[in-house]
Amino acid sequence: MSLLHLAWTYFRRRALLTLSALGIALGVALVFTTLAVVNGFLSELERTLREFSGDVVVRPLEIGPLAAGRAEYMRALEAVDGLESATPRLNWFGLVGRRGARALSDPRSADLNGLLLVGVEPERERAAALHAELLAQPGSLILGDELAQRLGVAAGDALEVLSYRGSGRDLAPVRATFQVAGSFRTGQYEQDLDRAIVRREDLERFLGGRVPFTEIVLRGARDIAPEQLAARARMALAEAGIRGADVRTWRAQGGNLLAAVENQRGTLSVVFFAIVAVAAFQLLATLTLTVTEKRHDIGVLGALGAGPARVAGFFMVLCLVIGAAGTALGLALGLWLCRNLHVVELWIGGGERIFTPELYQFPEIPIAVDPGSVSVLVGATLAAALLFSCIPAWLAARLPIVRALHHA
Amino acid sequence: MSEPLILEARDLHKSYRMGAGRLPVLRGVSLQLRPGEVVALMGASGSGKSTLLHLLGLLDRPDQGRVLLDGADVTELGQSAAARLRAGAIGFVFQQFHLLADLNALQNVLMPRRIACGWSWWRRAGRERERARAILEAVGLAGRLRHRPAQLSGGEQQRVAIARALVSAPALLLADEPTGNLDSATGADILALLLRLARQRQAALLLATHDAHVAAHSDRVLQLVDGTIVGAAPGP
Repeated sequence: MSLLHLAWTYFRRRALLTLSALGIALGVALVFTTLAVVNGFLSELERTLREFSGDVVVRPLEIGPLAAGRAEYMRALEAVDGLESATPRLNWFGLVGRRGARALSDPRSADLNGLLLVGVEPERERAAALHAELLAQPGSLILGDELAQRLGVAAGDALEVLSYRGSGRDLAPVRATFQVAGSFRTGQYEQDLDRAIVRREDLERFLGGRVPFTEIVLRGARDIAPEQLAARARMALAEAGIRGADVRTWRAQGGNLLAAVENQRGTLSVVFFAIVAVAAFQLLATLTLTVTEKRHDIGVLGALGAGPARVAGFFMVLCLVIGAAGTALGLALGLWLCRNLHVVELWIGGGERIFTPELYQFPEIPIAVDPGSVSVLVGATLAAALLFSCIPAWLAARLPIVRALHHA
Repeated sequence: MSEPLILEARDLHKSYRMGAGRLPVLRGVSLQLRPGEVVALMGASGSGKSTLLHLLGLLDRPDQGRVLLDGADVTELGQSAAARLRAGAIGFVFQQFHLLADLNALQNVLMPRRIACGWSWWRRAGRERERARAILEAVGLAGRLRHRPAQLSGGEQQRVAIARALVSAPALLLADEPTGNLDSATGADILALLLRLARQRQAALLLATHDAHVAAHSDRVLQLVDGTIVGAAPGP
């Protein structure tokens, strides 16, 4: 390491070595940004899923006249150790028109929107983003922000909702008018586009009093993992003699989407680490060239008392200097990219957004810099630089001093 | 009891591959050097002076014969052990100066110390810098510390090389045609400087040259002809 100064001098004075560092920086910046975006996507997905659906959702597989069942469910679940809240909800399918009530009078209209009516108990509801406190009046409704904009309705407007009640041969359409009390925004595009929050008792009445709830949302204490809470809920239901309930964590609810994003993160990481590896190969070529060009210097170092191990060590240090400079620059570039992603997005898209909410779920590209991922990235890059320095270092170490000195 | 030897070569042979055969360069060279002694090694170009210096400086290995440094046989030393000896006990001055082009004069002089100190460099850097500055002042380059070799004249470059050779206070100095690339006036200055500093520091100096004027300043003269020492004479 006492030759670090010489390595730094080489690095500063040789454009080829600086270019190698730039190659590494580009790779590191791409991996850094990709990981930050995917991590941001995952954490935002977790936040919005958990905000809306809690940590665990319990769904009776059979729905119907379950009035007595609801009390049993609540009694069993409220005894679960570590439970913070258990909130019953009644979810049902509905249909609304773009211009509110009038659209439903004209079934030829293409302006109809399907939505999920979420019946909540305002006093029990814990999802702050839903603003259930606005449902003070019976017959009131809160729309997802995106849906409200699409329908062109605002607080105070009346909104007619079409649905059905019963099942099988008893299936019958129903329609009711709700008063829009406001809108909510969870931050996830799909949730904000296809959901409306109403009072559970209003929805139960709307459906003829036959379905009092379809799910119970559980939120655990901070130190309880959702999987742990789900296991305890299953056990509590079993002990209470309740069979046939589907108990799912938020992660299982996210299901395929979460798995797909995780999968994409893995794939992208491999692809971009391959880019870093390509940069490291380029470093190998550059350093091998440097060994040839600096043969005279290697001879001088040998004559001054540097043994083969010191000469090899010098080239490895040089490689680490290039790798460290490239990594530092890459991290800085990655951070800049993360902070200015919207600018870059518009620049790449020629003024048009590439990551639209319809495609990307979120109105803004979420960014989350995970120190663990960054550590792995830095470690892997430096390790790759060190690994790829081995061949040039070996070539330099085996140069005969006298012959190298003659290479002036 | 005779004075101990700092360097002894016994029956050194060295040849190089030349096509299918081998070209003998040294054919049984023996010599002795005492501490503080200045010996001129004279011979025409191609007589094997540089090869002999390389063997004595452990930059290369003889085909046959022994090299003893301060009484210890160093002929078969491994590359790392030989490198350690070079770093501490041997100083080189070359005809081509062999400075590192990317470093300034001070950093060039510090290089042997960086190599010799290894990890302890970081503790000793301050002291070592002072030492290097002092020796650069001694060779008359106090105002040229931050100049790179390309910004120095030939004479100044050789002064840096002499400072570099002396910075580790070696017991043995090997100088290969140190004035060969300089004009006669500068060469005379450099030679005087080298001899003065070697004697001040009690370092044995083996000076390869084909210049009789250079040899005139030494304690002894060895004549190398066709790979063998044909005569030894006391200096003037």
